Amino acid sequence: MTGLLQAFVGGFMNPLLTPAHALTLAALALCVGQQKKRGAALIVFALALIVGFLVIVLAVEETPARLVLLAGAAVLGVMTAAAWTPQSVVCLLAGMAGAALALDSPPQALTIAEAYATLAGTAVGACAILVGAATIASHANADWQRLGLRILGSWIAASAILVLAVQLR
Amino acid sequence: MREREHSKIVRVLGVLLVAVAVLAGRPALAHIIDGSAAGGFLGGFSHPLFGLDHVVAMVAVGLWGAFLGPPAIWLLPIAFPLVMALGGAIAILGGPVPGVEIGIALSAIVLGSMIALAARPPLMGAALVVAAFAIFHGHAHGAELPPGTDAVSFSVGFVMATGLLHLTGIAFGLLTRWPAGRIGVRAAGIGIALVGAAFLSKAV
Repeated sequence: MTGLLQAFVGGFMNPLLTPAHALTLAALALCVGQQKKRGAALIVFALALIVGFLVIVLAVEETPARLVLLAGAAVLGVMTAAAWTPQSVVCLLAGMAGAALALDSPPQALTIAEAYATLAGTAVGACAILVGAATIASHANADWQRLGLRILGSWIAASAILVLAVQLR
Repeated sequence: MREREHSKIVRVLGVLLVAVAVLAGRPALAHIIDGSAAGGFLGGFSHPLFGLDHVVAMVAVGLWGAFLGPPAIWLLPIAFPLVMALGGAIAILGGPVPGVEIGIALSAIVLGSMIALAARPPLMGAALVVAAFAIFHGHAHGAELPPGTDAVSFSVGFVMATGLLHLTGIAFGLLTRWPAGRIGVRAAGIGIALVGAAFLSKAV
């Protein structure tokens, strides 16, 4: 039981402690937070995450999920910086980010049960981080707060572009 | 009206500095799992701070933005990191950009001169000038990315430090609301241009 709990907590912390995941979730949260109807993007993200984990359970080979995550972070960051966040595009990118995050989180576990616990922890952790950060971003209503979001968006995009270049080198 | 604008800007600066402080705490956390992430972040964060030519140019971007007022005050610091990242990507992928050191020195001279002369070109012109120089700065940083470091942490640290230097320039530039402050900011522009000239003489 303790092993399962540890695996769940490890999975829960994974999106926060993997810089590429944290970067993507932050960029997505900034975009989703600026939406009037946030539910759609969050649901698409969660569904894509589950689909990604199902694919992992089916033991697919290594995928370029990390590249997709970073490209998504760059695009989402630029969109935030430009204050251009149409719902359809954000939903599409949320789906891509969810699936890529799942595919980039293969569990390192000794038993099948622990592997499932890790995947469940990652799913809950990623959704919790996204909802929490998007909720905070949604409270940025004043002009100066929106300006701060745009600057953060440009920083995230710049970081993601640099890392993408490193990965493609 | 102008006071309200300044109040907004001061609040943005405050929130961003808190955000940076919080995010800067990441390495300690990450260190538990992966030491290279901490090293990568600190390496990236310190990278722009240890080159005087970079420091004065980054501060100059913020200073000039503050001097030009809204919307340049936020547009320039948003545009710079994005274009700088493209310059860095070109370097990482092995693409050449001629005269990088000369370009960096010229950036300090041109931006410092703009501030000293209180130049007010059209917004698009100012953005193009800043973006053109951002390529040189990004290329220099990208070319010096140490092999084996955690690329994500390094990049986040490096972009954050650059952004902080812009914010420092903006904070200093807010002094322009007072007559004595305007003189101080323009004097700083002269200093920045002189530092750029010194680096140019070395580079040529």
